[in-house]
Amino acid sequence: MIAKQEFTQVEPFLYELPAGKRQGMRVPARIYADEHLLEMALGDRSVEQLVNTATLPGVARYALAMPDVHEGYGFPIGGVAATRLPEGIISPGGVGYDINCGVRLLTSTIEVEALRPHMEKLMSALFKNVASGVGSSGPLRLSEGDLRALLEKGSAWAVGRGYGSKEDYEHTEDSGCMEAADASAVSRQALQRGHDQVGTLGSGNHFLEIDEVVEVYDQEVARTFGLVPGFACIWIHCGSRGLGHQVCTDAVRTMQSAMTKYNIRVPDRELACVPFDSPEGRQYFAAMACAANYAWANRQVITHLVRQSVEQTLAGRIKNLNLRVLYDVCHNIAKVERHEVDGKAVELCVHRKGATRAFGPGRQEVPRDYRALGQPVLIPGSMGTGSYVLVGTAKAMQDTFGSTCHGAGRVMSRKGAKQSIRGETLRAELERAGIVVRAGSMSGLAEEAPSAYKDLESVVNVVHKSGMSRKVARTRPLGVIKG
Amino acid sequence: MIPEKGHPPFEELEHTADLRLGVHGGSLEELFIHAAQGMFHLMRCQPQGEGQAVARQVALESYDLEALLVDWLNELIYLREANQECYDAYEIIRLEPTRLEAIVRGTTHHPPQKVIKAATFSGLEIVRDAADYGVTITFDV
Repeated sequence: MIAKQEFTQVEPFLYELPAGKRQGMRVPARIYADEHLLEMALGDRSVEQLVNTATLPGVARYALAMPDVHEGYGFPIGGVAATRLPEGIISPGGVGYDINCGVRLLTSTIEVEALRPHMEKLMSALFKNVASGVGSSGPLRLSEGDLRALLEKGSAWAVGRGYGSKEDYEHTEDSGCMEAADASAVSRQALQRGHDQVGTLGSGNHFLEIDEVVEVYDQEVARTFGLVPGFACIWIHCGSRGLGHQVCTDAVRTMQSAMTKYNIRVPDRELACVPFDSPEGRQYFAAMACAANYAWANRQVITHLVRQSVEQTLAGRIKNLNLRVLYDVCHNIAKVERHEVDGKAVELCVHRKGATRAFGPGRQEVPRDYRALGQPVLIPGSMGTGSYVLVGTAKAMQDTFGSTCHGAGRVMSRKGAKQSIRGETLRAELERAGIVVRAGSMSGLAEEAPSAYKDLESVVNVVHKSGMSRKVARTRPLGVIKG
Repeated sequence: MIPEKGHPPFEELEHTADLRLGVHGGSLEELFIHAAQGMFHLMRCQPQGEGQAVARQVALESYDLEALLVDWLNELIYLREANQECYDAYEIIRLEPTRLEAIVRGTTHHPPQKVIKAATFSGLEIVRDAADYGVTITFDV
């Protein structure tokens, strides 16, 4: 067990456990938190898992935990660790089973007061048109050839089929496509699971939400991002579905035996890893990139279905809908990026597991129209509590490999949440608060109760005050769809 | 954590974000069967329309016994989703520390209410005492 007093407070919201505090640590372990969030992190295996990531071969500078950290597999959820290339490792446990689980935010010129009378109808249209829930299959049935093309082209594949425009993927992380993708690296089982799930939300904590922009903290950035108080925006949270899960399962399995070949031992089998520049490492990275592209194509098709639903419901009733992609970020991914280590720019494999990229001003990877300001950072809250838009900073580039938090993080088990509140009661409470709810499962709804999550405001305040991202705007839900 | 003697074949344990199962069995074959039963119990498959009986063959080779258990459960997850079936009967034909052959039987049109992404190695260790085999399995949902 790791105790609070073993940490050194490095900055007001940054605590460090020096390397050497635990056997095998190659670098320190750092956690961004206020005092209360640090105590919560010490309440489960988060910190132990963070320390484990600090033992990985090739790990650079420090292993990081964001303020929304909670226990995961291998890495904690909310964990960031970068390994030096080419000798450092890549680990599917540093990405997660839902590869490119991520968030997209659409802005609009729809005034909320004009929208309110049509909310029930719009929510019903979205619930009908965007498949959600367990076992859902989407509007596309892809041949193997189509699926392979999608895996290598991502969002651009969907746009090429008429599901959106070039502007959409230009406002997506990596332009909606990781170029390392190679469909031949993806197993037959993964392809089988992926052929009919494009255009679906899935279940669990995935959602589609109509929100109102309620508060702006940075006028200039909000104006550039298209965030105006009193106007509607739409959040889409989902990932790579069964295909991504299978890619991770396949890789964890392969690496169990491959590790012995490279003389690698890990303290937790979910940290199974191989050198990035090995046949197994390159195969996983290529397959992971395919799954990432699948998730982006998925969110692109869903964007199209959302636009169709909004058009069907509101055309002729509200002028100027203008649903535009503000940005789209990954929460579970490994990227090859250049960052400064010991005063030199080096190539790293940056694992973000339940963490978001937050690149600062001037980075080439940020879309041209945002480049002077920094990358949009999208942080969804729990159902019913609202969400935040932030912007990446130079401090993030300096301190966190250009990374920030991804959400609120769970504090209560799903079983505990279902015992504390019934789904029907929660729905009634949300509706009394003016939030229209559509959910495929009352049990699933209860599991996602706001009380099951950390206080998002505390989490966002830590990332803002630490300087790794800067608050731009807050949104509040008007309607929620849960699978 | 090791399930105590006298517990049922499987029981749901607490986990903050996902699902955790405590499993035990009088033999390794029983342990593997109870693990599969427990996992499908967590999935809560419900009949939806006229289902047809199905049988699938499973043949696996893994790194060690714990990997074999994880691979067994993940194979069932894959078969369930790829074929839209649910399984409730398991015949273990051969079980060695790194090899398994089995026939699993179930029904179509029995979709789950809860999706399990994968069985994980998190905290997983098969432990044997005088009477039982026991294991705790954490599932990513």
